[in-house]
Amino acid sequence: MATGADRAVGMGLVGFSLLLFSYYTIWVVILPFVDSDHVVHQYFLPREYSVILPGIAALILLLLVGTFIGVVMWKNRKPKVA
Amino acid sequence: MTKLLEWVFGIMIVGAAWALVTFDLLDLRLPEAYRQVAWPMPVYLLVVFGCYSLATVGYRVATFNDCEEASIELQAQIQEAKEDLRRKGLKL
Repeated sequence: MATGADRAVGMGLVGFSLLLFSYYTIWVVILPFVDSDHVVHQYFLPREYSVILPGIAALILLLLVGTFIGVVMWKNRKPKVA
Repeated sequence: MTKLLEWVFGIMIVGAAWALVTFDLLDLRLPEAYRQVAWPMPVYLLVVFGCYSLATVGYRVATFNDCEEASIELQAQIQEAKEDLRRKGLKL
């Protein structure tokens, strides 16, 4: 069986992704069918942000991955033998 | 028909259906709610796929079968091997 920290991190990831999935699904799929004067709408940003925010997140992810690769390649450069 | 072609076909058909609804290419005049659900669909499916991947990785990390005894035994064997090689002259 996986030990303490592994279990905590793993179940944390599961919980986070469930939360994210629920919020995003309500935002994209459920809200259009809810009356526009219902109180639940105040907990969600305008619809455009449901596309803009994941777009920004994807860009940040690409930036991080690219930076990581760059740093690793820089560290492993070997000068040409004279 | 290769797998790649199958996927490309499938994606094109789904993409065409999505474009039809989002840009109202056939003047179907669907109710506003359905159009509002349809247009973020590509991004929504990507996010759902990301959530599923994250949950799968997290769950498998949490339920990974650590073998404590095998790990200790293996480390002892590594020490044993290092000693043996040192005695035989290999510089470690």
